[in-house]
Amino acid sequence: MAITAAVATTTAADCSSNRWSMQSLSSALPSLNSITCSSIRFSSSSHCRPSLSLTRTQQAPHLFSSYTGLASNNPLLSLGFSDLTSFEHGLAFVDNGCRISAMRHGRRVPKLNRPPDQRRALLRGLTTQLLKHGRIKTTRARASAVRKYVDKMITLAKDGSLHKRRQALGFIYEKQIVHALFAEVQERYGERNGGYTRIIRTLPRRGDNAPMAYIELV
Amino acid sequence: MAASVDPLVVGRVIGDVVDMFVPSVGMSVYYGSKHVTNGCDVKPSMATSPPKLNITGHSDELYTLVMTDPDAPSPSEPRMREWVHWIVVDIPGGTNPAQGMEILPYMGPRPPVGIHRYIMVLFQQKAPLGLVEQPPTRANFNTRLFAGNLDLGLPVATIYFNCQKEPASRRR
Repeated sequence: MAITAAVATTTAADCSSNRWSMQSLSSALPSLNSITCSSIRFSSSSHCRPSLSLTRTQQAPHLFSSYTGLASNNPLLSLGFSDLTSFEHGLAFVDNGCRISAMRHGRRVPKLNRPPDQRRALLRGLTTQLLKHGRIKTTRARASAVRKYVDKMITLAKDGSLHKRRQALGFIYEKQIVHALFAEVQERYGERNGGYTRIIRTLPRRGDNAPMAYIELV
Repeated sequence: MAASVDPLVVGRVIGDVVDMFVPSVGMSVYYGSKHVTNGCDVKPSMATSPPKLNITGHSDELYTLVMTDPDAPSPSEPRMREWVHWIVVDIPGGTNPAQGMEILPYMGPRPPVGIHRYIMVLFQQKAPLGLVEQPPTRANFNTRLFAGNLDLGLPVATIYFNCQKEPASRRR
């Protein structure tokens, strides 16, 4: 397929220093391809850290790697409708009828599979816990969604006025944390402009293979 | 996206505890049957006794191992950075720390709050060190200063893992 060949060449360009050959991988099973694609993205320092080898294969359900798996399974594409595939090369067809794009076009808010009230409560809880403990482990989608709110809270604390303090008290669940944050943020983040968190991706969760990440205050 | 993919840089081990270095010696750490890789999760109950550590390298080279926790007592307020857990000197290459001299006895991870990083740093010694004096307290240890005092230079290997307090009750 033209698509899988294009995919294989781009990933080959990414991991040119890697010891696998992309030709053997692109002709292999789709599941093997997605494993190696995701493990490359996870930690491609395998040339200097032999401990991080393929024994730690990680199933990152990144849409990019799942797309290559679907392309070889999908009978429409395998029949070789070249105009169909070239026009909609960014779209994968899932058999339940919806369309998933490989890009983020038009997605403004991460919904986290929850109605708006629960979503807000989840994000409030996550920011409270992150500010309380300094480093928490959650799923990747939640970690990247909570970044915005943690940065907002730290920005409120940097301002420091009463109005901002009350706004922070209305968002964070525990009063102590708000007061502690307002007290210490100047010396901790005084010079830093934004980017107060860091996300480190980690191994998937055992129960449901959800991709996990540590999010920590920088 | 992290600017670098090296797990030690992403996890801020390089920067908080050690400086940028080129790893030249292989080190494999095993807690029981669990092989420790950078950033993996280890439970405190599994880490109560010293790990099995194997170092590659020449048998006529001596190495020093330091295990510290830069996130004591909590990652959001590391007032006691770093808390040193284990110091072993004069480890011959190709063996394990049991063959070296234990300056500071092993203390297992006991993170009270949050998720802590535990970092094992291996230095190569230029000369046998013999009996090094114990640090007066485990808190507020500085790996760089320690290496500078003993003239150890840059590390040759580093591994870190994460550890958090286990909940009292079984969850899921």
